[in-house]
Parts: sequence; structure tokens; C-alpha cells
Amino acid sequence: MKNGIEMRFNTRSIMMTSVLLLLVISLIAACSSPKATERESQRRSDKLVVAIGSEPEDGFDPTLGWGRYGSPLFQSTLLKRDDQLNVTNDLAESYEISSDGLIWTVKLREDVQFSDGQPLTPDDVKYTFETTANSGSAIDLTNLKAVELDGNNIHFKLGKPQSTFLNELTTLGIVPSHAHGADYASNPVGSGPFKFVQWDRGQQLLVESNPSYYGDKPSFHHITFLFLNEDAALAAAKAGTVDMAYIPSSFSKQEVPGMRLEALQTVDNRGITFPYAEPGGKTEEGYPIGNAVTADLAIRQAINMAMDREKLVEGILEGYGTPAYTSVDGLPWWNEDTVIADSDIEGAKKLLAEAGWSDSNGDGVLEKNGLIAEFPLIYPSGDTLRQSLALAASEMMKEIGIRMTAAGKSWEEIEREMHASAVLLGWGSHDPSELYALYASKYSGVDYYNTGYYSNQQVDGYMEKAMAALTIEEAMAYWKQSQWDGTTGSSAKGDAPWAWLVNIKHLYLVDDALDIGSPRIQPHRHGWPVTDNIASWKWKE
Amino acid sequence: MSAVRSLTRGRGRRLTGRTRLLISAATTGLLLVGIILCSLFIGEQGLSVKLELRDLPPSLQHLFGTDWLGRDMFSRTVQGLTLSVAVGLAGAAGSTVIAMMMGLAAAFLGRMVDRVVTWLIDATLSVPHLVMLILIAFVSGGGIQGIMIGIVFTHWPSLARVIRAEALSVVTADYVAVSRGFGRTRWWIMRHHLVPHLLPQLFIGFLLLFPHAVLHEAAITFLGLGFSPHQPAIGIILSESMRYLSSGMWWLAVFPGLALLVTVRAFDMLGHSLQRLIDPKHSRT
Repeated sequence: MKNGIEMRFNTRSIMMTSVLLLLVISLIAACSSPKATERESQRRSDKLVVAIGSEPEDGFDPTLGWGRYGSPLFQSTLLKRDDQLNVTNDLAESYEISSDGLIWTVKLREDVQFSDGQPLTPDDVKYTFETTANSGSAIDLTNLKAVELDGNNIHFKLGKPQSTFLNELTTLGIVPSHAHGADYASNPVGSGPFKFVQWDRGQQLLVESNPSYYGDKPSFHHITFLFLNEDAALAAAKAGTVDMAYIPSSFSKQEVPGMRLEALQTVDNRGITFPYAEPGGKTEEGYPIGNAVTADLAIRQAINMAMDREKLVEGILEGYGTPAYTSVDGLPWWNEDTVIADSDIEGAKKLLAEAGWSDSNGDGVLEKNGLIAEFPLIYPSGDTLRQSLALAASEMMKEIGIRMTAAGKSWEEIEREMHASAVLLGWGSHDPSELYALYASKYSGVDYYNTGYYSNQQVDGYMEKAMAALTIEEAMAYWKQSQWDGTTGSSAKGDAPWAWLVNIKHLYLVDDALDIGSPRIQPHRHGWPVTDNIASWKWKE
Repeated sequence: MSAVRSLTRGRGRRLTGRTRLLISAATTGLLLVGIILCSLFIGEQGLSVKLELRDLPPSLQHLFGTDWLGRDMFSRTVQGLTLSVAVGLAGAAGSTVIAMMMGLAAAFLGRMVDRVVTWLIDATLSVPHLVMLILIAFVSGGGIQGIMIGIVFTHWPSLARVIRAEALSVVTADYVAVSRGFGRTRWWIMRHHLVPHLLPQLFIGFLLLFPHAVLHEAAITFLGLGFSPHQPAIGIILSESMRYLSSGMWWLAVFPGLALLVTVRAFDMLGHSLQRLIDPKHSRT
């Protein structure tokens, strides 16, 4: 029996371990002493070390999606957006659209070289667009029928007018046709402000400035991008080993000597998408579509009305955010009339009562013709912020008698259930075609876009007109009308297929001596949107 | 334990095994009843989000403080412990049953079966518990059910080995040979000689498996398998707290961790005192 059941816990070792654990914990909690010695020496050198986001897993090939949310760094684009989101020339000398909207002509500048010394020609542009169209990546160029060259002019022929084609010209980095091989994604060559040096997967990316770059030279010669998780990034910032670090709002209360907190305005939004359709349908994969409760307009509008967005911003984002009313708040195509007066519990209750909802059995949850006002609210289980938002939003809805049951699921599970359950999703792009994809009925059930099968002919009509518009101004007017035209629209005032909650400010700890210019309103945080104006970063004088 | 000893040392005599058993049984019982009563009393209400009360350190209103969503940590800890205790009880009970069947089969059904059982025990013991547990929990569909199945199928071997050895020694004992000589069937011998002999061992085994099962439940939920991340399980609470430790919110980890430790330790003590009492051979000296 001596070697009987070998599962004894040694009293002393357990006690010792717990005491040690306590010690370590209190040490971690207490230990925030700064080490700013290294920081001083780093300043005013031409090197920059940043930990601003996760690693692009697919590498740095624009034809596969690199650069969609922020500067492609190594490559340059035909057009670009300035910090006010106005479109300016980059590789292009000028561009024009034919009167039927079907041909976009871009005149290419002639003096541009790739970092390997070869000139950038119209053939490279043609090659880039054709390769991208055939790559099957997230970039949708299905409307692009042909790319034709004539001297330095490039003619993009479209199947039908598409005002958002502008966005493809501002985001797609041009790759060299002569050096675009299988290993391009891990060894990119381009004509952008920086050239590739080294990529250690899972660790870091080293770049240096491109001497042959045609635009304003960046003031940093070497930049190191470290791929750290949020804790490690904060630790690195405290230790003085990085000049800039992305941190989540839960770390925002921590002071790091020698660094300031930059909170960048964004359209990186989070919201609840509701199943719009009545239940009964199934997708091609056999997943259920629709939910009887959320198919009721009164339910969706009441949730939008009762939601206390300010409280979510204060309580969950520590104030680093703004209330969200649409997916495009603050962008040029946003309709400001979509802002509603929220945290209006009484108004929401009244609306529900008028629609026939009442709590007849006194359990705190409304009913209507035997239907109980409850439905699941799914959030991706790995995302703490969405979890917090889902729980807080569910709590708020208890007051008006709607029971949203929060449930954390994996993305695979979410894909199966998202057409019949409310889901906490996030969007935000500099491209109005995202607005189209979120609300157009033909995007019903496509990817994560119109998951709720929202469909309103009027809204569809406005958005088609916006797509077909020949001028930016005309398109803007239609985009705005699609959100709210006074009687209907895709916003909370109209059909309310979403309850948008918050826009999340992106927080960066930035060295006090580092000037990062005035970054534009930031999109959803895939890739490195903050690097958009990296060429203008410099040490303060 | 050491507190008990230092109390008694002054008077120059040690507690007898029986007193010690009574004390640990009473403590454990009180703890169990406390946890269950508290969780019944708290219900769903105690877990609700109150953003205006977030990040509060421990106080009289919130004994264990509140988290970043203003949820009361005492309520969450108690709910988490209830879940742990439930999973622990079910897992340990299931393991004990399997261990008993394996042990008896090995002792009674001939050499071939014995070999197979011994091989099975060795095979199961040779793979790290947690790895097996994760695999089984994953294959059986995750969730609370997956974790229970995982615990049941990973915790039996050490106890089975003990039961097998005990059973073999009984089978070869003289009184059993006499019994057999009287023409008693195997089944009769099993019921009248073996089971009464093995019951105390099984009970102690169960008590000692329980803390293991609880710790493994915490470990597996810590790793993020099984539940929605907002459900209060001790492992989930502990792993979430990691994000906030560097902001100085020590109470998120310390109290739930201590609560887990105390629960596990209490059952461990009870098991060992009982073991010493029933089986003098196994006493410490």
C-alpha cells in the first residue's frame, strides 16, 4: 500500500506554491517602475521600433489582399487618400471616367522605379489588376472586364458603372510583373516608401527606406515591426524597447513615463446584426435563416432606442470610443440624420407596447401571441471586447423586457448560426462598397456581410444608383439616402437591421518625442491602418 | 493542518486520528453546504453586469471585489466552485466505478483479462493526464459533458491498480480458498468477501480523486475548452484575470484561486485522514 494511490498533495508544497503565487501576483501588480534610459538614446536616431499590430499571415502580396486596410508600405498605389480622405494622385498623373462610367483611364507617371531598379510600366499595372482579379482573394474585381494599354494610359473597362472602383485604385499596390513569383509574399519588391529587408515569422519585420522612392522621403531609415501580443507590447513600452505600441482600452489607465497615449478616431465599429427574415428558410449549406422575434421591426427599433451607447463607451471602452449609429459614422458618405436619441427606455417600452408586446405572465420578458421576446446573441469567444459588449447590451435590454442570451462561440459555429441568431460583429472601411455589401439584398448570406438577409427594394435602389454614379458627389448623395431618406433606410430610423453600438478608438502608446502627424479616421483594425501616413512620422524638433 | 498541529503541540499530545477525521469531515461538509447554499441564494441575479460598479477592490458590499464589467466576484467565485464541485463529484464517482470494475475484472476473470487491464492501466498512465483529458473532452463534443467524460476516463487507472492488488490478495487468502472449497461461486465470493473488503478503499479513492478532478476541471476551463467565456468556471475566471493583473486588479485572481485551493485541500485532507484511520499500514510513520 505504500505506493498506493499516488495522488497525495504535499501540504508544505501546496502552501509554498500558493505563497509564491501570491508573491508573484503582487509583484506583477506593484512592478510598474519605468526604464526610460534606453528610450533617450533611441530618440533622434533614424531607427524606429514599433509594436502596432499582428502579423499579416498571408504575407505582403497586394494581389492577395495585403494593404487593404492601410498603407502597403512596400508598394505604391495609382491613387491615394490624404488624411482628410480626399483622393489624390500617387503613381497616376491624372485619371478620368468616361461619360457612361464604363471606362476609367489612368495616366501613369513615367519616372517611377521599383526598388530593384527596374522601371514601373503600364504593363505592371495591367499585370497587377489581372492577377488580382484571378487570385480569388478578398478583393472583388469581378466587374473589371479588361485592362487595355495605350502608351502611358491605362484603360480599365468595367462591366457596369461602379463608383467604388475608385477604391480599388487607391488600395491595390502595384507589383512588378518581372519579380512576382511564388515567394513574392514573403519577399516583396515594390515602389513604395519602404523596401523589404527581413521577415522573421512570428517575431518581426525589418524594413528600410527605399532610396529610389519618388515621393517625400520618410525621415526614418530603418523600421522594425515587432509582432507582440497586447501584454508583451505594453511590457515592451514600459521597458523602453519600443517607440510605439498598440494597446487595448483595458490598459489605457496605465501611465508609461516618456510615452503619451494617442487615441485615434475610427469607424472600427461593433454592432449587433439581427436576423431580418422570418424563420423557415435554409442556406445552401442547410443552415437555418431567420428569427421570428428579430423579424419584428418594433423589437429591432426598440433595442436601438433603449441601448445606452454612451454607457458602453464609458464602461467598456474606458471612454476611448464614440457611440455608433451606422457602419460609416464620420465618413464622407455618412448621413448625419441617422443619429437617434438613445437610452430612451420609456420610448422603447411604448413602441413595443404599441406593436402588441406585453408581459402577460409577469416574468419580466415580453410576449406577443405566444411568441417570447428572447433570442441568442452570439459573440466570438476569443474576443473579450465583444464579450463585454454582448453582456452589457443584454443587461440593458432586460429593462425593456427583451431577453438576449449571450453565448460565446467559435467562428465555425457562428457561421452555422449567424443567419438565425443575433451576432456581435464589427466592420468599418474607407470603401463605401462595404456599406453596399452589408445592406444589399444580393449580399444576403454572402460571407459575413448581410447575415440577417436584410432586404429593402428602396435601399437597394439607392445603393445601385450610388454604385452607378459618375461623380463622387452624386454617389455620396445616394449613399446617404440609402441610410435614411426621410421615410425608410437601412439605419436605426428605418428598418434597423443592425443595432450599431460603438466605434472603438485605437489606442497607441507613442514616445513623447515621436510625431505621428495627424492620422486619418481609422478603419477596422485588420492590417496596420495606422501606417497610412508613416512616411510623415518624425522625431519632434 | 499545521494550525491544528501547533494548537495541540502545546498541550503535549497529538490529535487522534478519529478527532482529526471529524474535524476535516466537518470542515469539508460545511464548505460544501456553504457553496451550495450560496449558489442557490445568488442565482442568476448575482452575475449581472453593472458597468457603474466595475473594477472595485474588495469591500464589505463586494467581498471579493468586482471585475471589469462590474460583476460581483464573490458570486462568480461561488458559482464557479459549484460547477467545479459538481464536475468533480460526477467525475470522481464515474472514475471510481470504472476503477472498481477494472480491478475486479483483473482479479477474477483470469490471467488474460488481468494482462489486458494491466496494460490498459499502464497505457493510460503513460500519457499525461491533461493531454488525454483535452483529447477526450474535445472528441466527446466539449462543454460540461465533454469535460466530465474526459475526467471519468482519465482518472481511474491509479485507483484501479490499488483495487486490483487488494482484490488479488483477497482472492488468494485462505478464507476465500475455504469458501471456494465449500462450493461457493465466484459471484458469491465477489459479493460476500470482496466488495465489503474493498468498499473503504473505494470510498477513500473517491475522496482522493475528487480534488484531482476539480483541479483538472479548472485547468481545462483555464485553457478555454468547453464553455462560453462568460460562464463562471474557476479556470475561466483565473485565465481572464491574467489580462487585468498588470493593471493591479489582484483580487480577480487571488480570491477565486484561494477558494479553489481551500476546496481542493479540504477534500484531500478528509481523504487522507480517513485513509489513516481505516488503513493503519498507510499512516505516516
